[in-house]
Amino acid sequence: MSTRSRLLLCVAVLAALHLGVACAGFFAPYDPAAQDREHPYAPPMRLHFVDGQGGLHLRPFFYAQALRSGSFDAYEENRTRAIPVKFFISGAPYRVLGVLPLRMHLFGGDVPVYLLGSDGYGRDLLSRVLFGGQVSLLAGLIGAGLTLSIGLCIGAAAGFWGGWKDEALMRVAELFLALPWIYLLFAMRAFLPLAVPPLKAFLLVIMVIGAVGWARPARMVRGIVLSAKERDFVRAARGFGASGGYLLRQHILPETASVVLTQAAILVPQFVLAEMTLSFLGLGVPEPVPSWGNMLASLQHYNVLVSYWWMYLPALAMVPFFLGYLVLASLLQGSRGTSKIGEVFGGV
Amino acid sequence: MTRFLVRRLAHAAFLLLGVSLLAFLFSTLAPGNYFDEMRLNPQISAERLSALRAEYQVDRPMAVRYARWASALLHGDLGFSFAYNTPVAPLLWTRARNTLLLTGTATVLVWILALPLGVWSAERLGRPADVALSWATAVLLIIPDLTLALGLLVLAVRSEWLPTGGMVSVGFDGFSAAHKIRDVALHMVLPVTVLVAAALPVLLRHVRAAVAEALEVPFLRAAEGHGISRRRLLYRYALAAAAHPLIALFGFSLGTLLSGSLLVEVVMSWPGLGPFLLEAILARDLYVVIGGVLLSTLFLVTGNFVADLLLYWADPRIRSEAAGR
Amino acid sequence: MEPVIRVENLVKRHAGRGFGRRAPGFTAVDSVSFSILPGTTLALVGESGSGKSSLALCLACLERVTAGQIWFEGRDLAALEEKELRAVRPKLQLVFQDPANSLNPRWAVGKIVAEPLLVQARIAKRERDARAAQVLERVGLSAEYLERRPQELSGGQRQRVAIARALILEPKLLILDEVLSALDCSIQAQIANLLVELQRTYGLAYLFVTHDLRMAAHLADEIAVMSRGKIVEQGAAEKILRHARCEETKSLLGAASLAPEAIAAVRER
Repeated sequence: MSTRSRLLLCVAVLAALHLGVACAGFFAPYDPAAQDREHPYAPPMRLHFVDGQGGLHLRPFFYAQALRSGSFDAYEENRTRAIPVKFFISGAPYRVLGVLPLRMHLFGGDVPVYLLGSDGYGRDLLSRVLFGGQVSLLAGLIGAGLTLSIGLCIGAAAGFWGGWKDEALMRVAELFLALPWIYLLFAMRAFLPLAVPPLKAFLLVIMVIGAVGWARPARMVRGIVLSAKERDFVRAARGFGASGGYLLRQHILPETASVVLTQAAILVPQFVLAEMTLSFLGLGVPEPVPSWGNMLASLQHYNVLVSYWWMYLPALAMVPFFLGYLVLASLLQGSRGTSKIGEVFGGV
Repeated sequence: MTRFLVRRLAHAAFLLLGVSLLAFLFSTLAPGNYFDEMRLNPQISAERLSALRAEYQVDRPMAVRYARWASALLHGDLGFSFAYNTPVAPLLWTRARNTLLLTGTATVLVWILALPLGVWSAERLGRPADVALSWATAVLLIIPDLTLALGLLVLAVRSEWLPTGGMVSVGFDGFSAAHKIRDVALHMVLPVTVLVAAALPVLLRHVRAAVAEALEVPFLRAAEGHGISRRRLLYRYALAAAAHPLIALFGFSLGTLLSGSLLVEVVMSWPGLGPFLLEAILARDLYVVIGGVLLSTLFLVTGNFVADLLLYWADPRIRSEAAGR
Repeated sequence: MEPVIRVENLVKRHAGRGFGRRAPGFTAVDSVSFSILPGTTLALVGESGSGKSSLALCLACLERVTAGQIWFEGRDLAALEEKELRAVRPKLQLVFQDPANSLNPRWAVGKIVAEPLLVQARIAKRERDARAAQVLERVGLSAEYLERRPQELSGGQRQRVAIARALILEPKLLILDEVLSALDCSIQAQIANLLVELQRTYGLAYLFVTHDLRMAAHLADEIAVMSRGKIVEQGAAEKILRHARCEETKSLLGAASLAPEAIAAVRER
């Protein structure tokens, strides 16, 4: 398969994954904030195709779970009643992209279906993973966009202006690179108000993540701009009386496109991870808004770790996305594969 | 040679200065500080509060505070922790030691594993063994640290083979020396595994790429023609030629000794610098945070500096370039 | 007759870089003076490092001059600000040596050739394309080349595109910086003949920068020999070729194998 078709396949798969998360309302059976006090810490329910008598059903079904009497976290299946899975049912209302109100869900049942189990408040984990993905992925995407924009501007300015302005900007970039980014991230976040409403917290997280990583892209862009500036076709354009802005727009910045794209593929998963880390430690998006990070925070409690293993599952949600972006980045880089990926994944 | 050294040192000093300024700036510009939080505590009287404020000179202008702090720093005094009410330096040092134990072990392991594996892999470039190894490392690469750490923790808890968290077991002080060592070592297994698993794929790929490239070089073919043994060829010649990017990576490894393990330490409750700093950040313990950030930056800068020195010593091209100026 | 361009005591000094003794500055062009009459060709000949390319860039106002004057259309270009220069630039264009470098590989030929119009004047796209097609034809390329990319063209064709681009603003003077050096021998002759023809048709003046005296002989009315930033010998082409005085000229003459026919061809012009 040629590189081009591999690239397209990779982008298609990533797009599908993102689309799935974007349509969280549809794929998730429940509202992520809906609590079910009767089913706290319910384990994942198993889908069956074969019933107790050995009969095969085409439509999968499950057995309702209920708390064993006298226990507060042990469940047993009620095998007397098979609840079939219903597809395309109407359920809790949601909005697509925050605008379009719909009620249709991919699947559900007459009684609560917890494919991935539920958390301490009885909230469906699958739904929370999907909606949490929206938060985490968006934070990563916007954060990466912000970093790249800042890096592009500063790198282009430094490379184009040259002289002392270039020196000064690159020294500042070096400073940012000299700081261990994780500490910088935490310090920046923590020195902003801690107890803020979820939306503001989300924006703060994005801002902080975006402001931390600009130095490396800036340096790369600067290198490209420096060499592009000296190309004869740029000088020729100057010879026709082209202004600096024209040169940048028409000739120089297009040269940076491939680097910027590759950096984007590398940075997005990193930034998603950064948001997860921040939220995991309580510095990110707070409850009740789900994010992959804050959903894992409960694992810091020993009893959760021991008894409720399904609370770990949100940690795996990131993996297919990571894989997709990794493949994308290595495809974009062509044969020079190792150098940049290692540089970034090896701990910034 | 000395010109080079002096320039790199000046560069490093500049970086540290800049970082300290940045850190100080951040923390003093932050809304809310330790004393505001304390004011909300009814148990602390107003006089005590203002006495404390005067003691820590919170109300002086920023430039003055920075100047005082900087001069104290040069005397080795990192300031005072508001929360613990003791000097910052010894606090940091104990925690840093714990972190270094972890990361030092992990770093040594990673390099011991990566070098031979990388060379072995580069030798068999493209063949089934190499491809299999590449896939294995790719799998490790995809799994984020957080996922891996938590996953191992869950497994450890359910299997009860290894202690899950902390550095020492209950009753540590009463153990014999050998038992103490064994205890700490057992506690180290999980976090070190995560650190190694995180760093190994990357390093391995780099070693493999660098050695593979070095193996292509004509002078190696010539050496082979002279009858030099394969093993000697690989280790003494190819690895040496591949040294340049590897030394840079080694400097990077050194540099991240203090900062690379923050997440792992928090997840595994290892009493290192990471969790300590996090706690200080949340409590707005200003001097602890600045001291911690500075310390880890010091390591980063030193790591780069050592790498520069090693490169200078190892690569004659750099020496001649520097001398030619 | 008024010269198209008159250079007086031009000096170009490159500043030293770094503090102290790192890289000392040096003088690329050391007080050079000459003039070019309209419709004629002055060949600037010298070895690499003689300063001829620096001089070319200064004349094209792509580098700032350290001292001296460049009189063009009654104004001193060296003293003008960028804004004022903009109005003058169309009249004096530079063609670069390597068309692989001087044409943006991402652009189609039509866009490349029309670029000066895009930068200088507010002309509608259709008009720009029409003019581009016109000027391409003048350099011997049909309209089908408009959509092609530089990579699809041969070296000679690319250089024709570069020349076309320089011509589209109807300049009075073309500075040709080693424009034949990157081409194969057989193609060199083609492009050289094209240049001669264009000069005849449009009355263009040329500053032909080269290290190859043979090429200079083919095209030039006057020759100036440059060495280490100074002009060491200058005069009518035939005189220089027959009665070279300086060492440098003689060595350049020796380097170029000049057949008697070539010298005779010069005399004919």
